[in-house]
Amino acid sequence: MIADTLTSPVILFFVLGFLAALIRSDLSIPEAFGKAMSIYLMAAIGLKGGIEVADAGFTNELMVAALAGIGLSFILPLPAYFLLRKLGKLSAIDAGAVSAHYGSVSVVTFVTAQEIFTDNGLGPAGYMVAVMALMETPAIISGLLLARRGMSDDAGQRNTGKMLHEVFSNGSVVLLIGAFIIGIVIGKDGFEPVSPLFKIGFTGVLCLFLLDMGLVAARRLIQSRKLTVPLIFIGLLLPIVNGTIGTVLGVFIGLDAGSAAILGVLAASASYIAVPAAMRLAVPEADPGVYLSMSLGITFPFNIIIGISLFAAIAQAMI
Amino acid sequence: MVDTVIRKRIEILVDTPLLPRIVDLIRSVDISGWSVLHVDSGGGRDGSWQHDDVTGAAAKSILLAVANETKAKALTDAIEPILESHGLLLLVGNVEVIRGDKF
Repeated sequence: MIADTLTSPVILFFVLGFLAALIRSDLSIPEAFGKAMSIYLMAAIGLKGGIEVADAGFTNELMVAALAGIGLSFILPLPAYFLLRKLGKLSAIDAGAVSAHYGSVSVVTFVTAQEIFTDNGLGPAGYMVAVMALMETPAIISGLLLARRGMSDDAGQRNTGKMLHEVFSNGSVVLLIGAFIIGIVIGKDGFEPVSPLFKIGFTGVLCLFLLDMGLVAARRLIQSRKLTVPLIFIGLLLPIVNGTIGTVLGVFIGLDAGSAAILGVLAASASYIAVPAAMRLAVPEADPGVYLSMSLGITFPFNIIIGISLFAAIAQAMI
Repeated sequence: MVDTVIRKRIEILVDTPLLPRIVDLIRSVDISGWSVLHVDSGGGRDGSWQHDDVTGAAAKSILLAVANETKAKALTDAIEPILESHGLLLLVGNVEVIRGDKF
């Protein structure tokens, strides 16, 4: 599967974007087009998940996977925080903000993994979209509580309401959950008339979107002056450890191999959409140069190129 | 010949997610008009940066306002305590305006 992953078009387009940015190419995706692709992908993935849940119903498996996802999101920031403090030598505020990113999830990593797993006969259950949405927020609360250890009481209390509003009203989150609910309401029959738009172009659009993501990730890496060797090491270690925990937990609670592997991918991934904006608002003292560079410049490329195959291999070996 | 008066032109470079906080401060000192300008890319002591629509957290904006000296002083006093923690850049300069009573 590793060879299949590395030669899949979505990964190759990501690598192309990454390399183009590294050689300082002027290749760029127009902003409005990038935004449109993001909207298309969120709507498609939400609809697909909702339709599958409408088909299968709200099963015990779904509930257990949701609880596992929420638990992981709450707990994963804790070891990350202490590692960032001790090994990364970050302040409590920076370590708390970074740890929130590592408990939360990356939607693009999820979409890419889902595409690759499905191509390799490991398609995860549709309800994992709901699990992903549920994993977005708990880590923010954990990270914020950890960051507040380094803040004055007054500073710690401010902006919490606005921060929670930012998280729940984030465009990607609203669209993903909204499309998921629409999928549940319309079911397979209702999806049929719009399926040509959301099914046929999906992989092609994902290729172009990952080309853009490759450019953004590499440029973030090049432009950062905040990354130290220990932080790079942590940015590679956390996805391996968190992803393994997520995959093993998925197998342990009885998920199929694809769903267990994607739970691992979710645990391994680090947010770079909803959480950075929320942290910037709630903890402005935390350095965005650290958390964006680690999540987007280190962990995201690692998961796309290596992590996705790794967690699939672990799940397959265990089941 | 049109008469002009001197007012203060205030420019604040701010991370876009923090814009609402700065707008609240502007309102609190009774400055009634401001504009938000999109910023594409730039550089500073911490390296260069480029706007992207993916993360949003790296996006920066410039908040532009014109006010009389009293209001401008009140705003700089209000912003000064968070200049460092919020990574703001604050510029205040003289500017000639027509219809000075509007500011």
